[in-house]
Amino acid sequence: MNEPGSQPAVKPLLLQGSVLTQPPTRAKVWGTLMVALLLSLLPWHDQTLWLAPDFVLMVLLYWNIYAPRLAGLGMAFGLGLVIDVAHGVLMGLNALAYCAASLAVLAVRRRLENFDVPRRTVQVAPILLAKEVLVLGIGLMAGRDNVDWRWLAAGLVAGLLWMPLAWLLDRLCGRPGLTGKAAE
Amino acid sequence: MSQAPLFAREMGLFARFGVYALLSLSLIVLDARYASLGWLRTGLSVVLDPLQGLVAAPLGWTHSVSQFMVAHNDLIRTNTRLVRERDALGVQQQDRQTLQAENDRLRALLQLPPSPRITMLAAEIVRAMPDPFSRKIIISRGATQGIEAGLPVIDASGLVGQVTQVSAMTAEVTLLTDRDQGAPVQDQRNGVRVIVSGTGSDNLLEVRFLDVHADLKAGDLLYTSGLDGLWPAGIPVAQVLQTEPPKHTPFARALCRPLGQVGQYRHVMVLKPHAKGAR
Repeated sequence: MNEPGSQPAVKPLLLQGSVLTQPPTRAKVWGTLMVALLLSLLPWHDQTLWLAPDFVLMVLLYWNIYAPRLAGLGMAFGLGLVIDVAHGVLMGLNALAYCAASLAVLAVRRRLENFDVPRRTVQVAPILLAKEVLVLGIGLMAGRDNVDWRWLAAGLVAGLLWMPLAWLLDRLCGRPGLTGKAAE
Repeated sequence: MSQAPLFAREMGLFARFGVYALLSLSLIVLDARYASLGWLRTGLSVVLDPLQGLVAAPLGWTHSVSQFMVAHNDLIRTNTRLVRERDALGVQQQDRQTLQAENDRLRALLQLPPSPRITMLAAEIVRAMPDPFSRKIIISRGATQGIEAGLPVIDASGLVGQVTQVSAMTAEVTLLTDRDQGAPVQDQRNGVRVIVSGTGSDNLLEVRFLDVHADLKAGDLLYTSGLDGLWPAGIPVAQVLQTEPPKHTPFARALCRPLGQVGQYRHVMVLKPHAKGAR
């Protein structure tokens, strides 16, 4: 960035020099997913259960953008099954919803990866909300007709929390805050 | 990180999604229609249960620390209260034993089969299930302690629910407040038999198809009738709040308050019938 030849106002197409990012390693991806899984296994209070966001999906979607080879559709399917068991819902319900959410992110990941955190969040949050709608919808179709629509709030909370999460994981990868650099 | 090949030799993204979607859909159908995935669920929960215990452990520590810091005065007060309560319960227990003996004798005279004996297994509530379709909790006893699917679960004040799934160390209890759960009950005042079901709300049960002329009044206590052969008779279930006249259906409806308090106790009891012949 501070090379004399390049114009300081123009943002380089690819990150260069000192701001080059460290590639996300397998340990980082699996470690953060594990932490997210543990968070979702916490004994939440009975009354606030429907507000608890889906941490695993939030982290998964982040890695879908930056490490699609380590966390792709297969990972989404496997994690979905684990969450199905942990939440005691129909087998395959979350697996399908995770795969669909991952597909949506993977299809547009080339575009997403160059946005800064708030703009990425604006695009990922609808996917997080759509996942909750999908889970309730599939359950409805599978004959579970007593749906508690309050649970859609979890999708909203997940969308709101995705921004700090993306900041956090950006720091973990050494990815520079794009907003700060672009403003300079 | 593995080296990415120059030319991808794999299925396209959407084709791969199709495979996984088909796989998930078949799992959903297998589980919803045929309930044949118990083995997969038990297998995965063997891995998940220790993780769950690990996560819950710090909460247990803070609980024990806050218990350690309790004031001396409080301890004495609680202790006196408990001793008094135990004495009262002891008297009731003697009374109950005489009644039980008398009941057995009378049943023998009438040549009725003896009423089934049950044992109580205390269990701790581990967590509530984040399931948008039903109301379930996880308790800390499983198949190794002799819990089976179908056993009733009660707490100090009334019926809580029913064990619906069992893994090695934990069991899943579907609460009475779940919409799909119901219990055959009998009015304590006049013996009217109805079925209460959950509404999905924490503090409301309902009698869905009530005869318009049924004698059910606000304040009546409903006890399990024992007619289903599943739950023992005489467990308090609910108190009638009000009855509603029929609106668009030929049936009236009664709203009840559940007596079991899931939110308040950390412990529940699982009722296990003795094996036949054993006393």
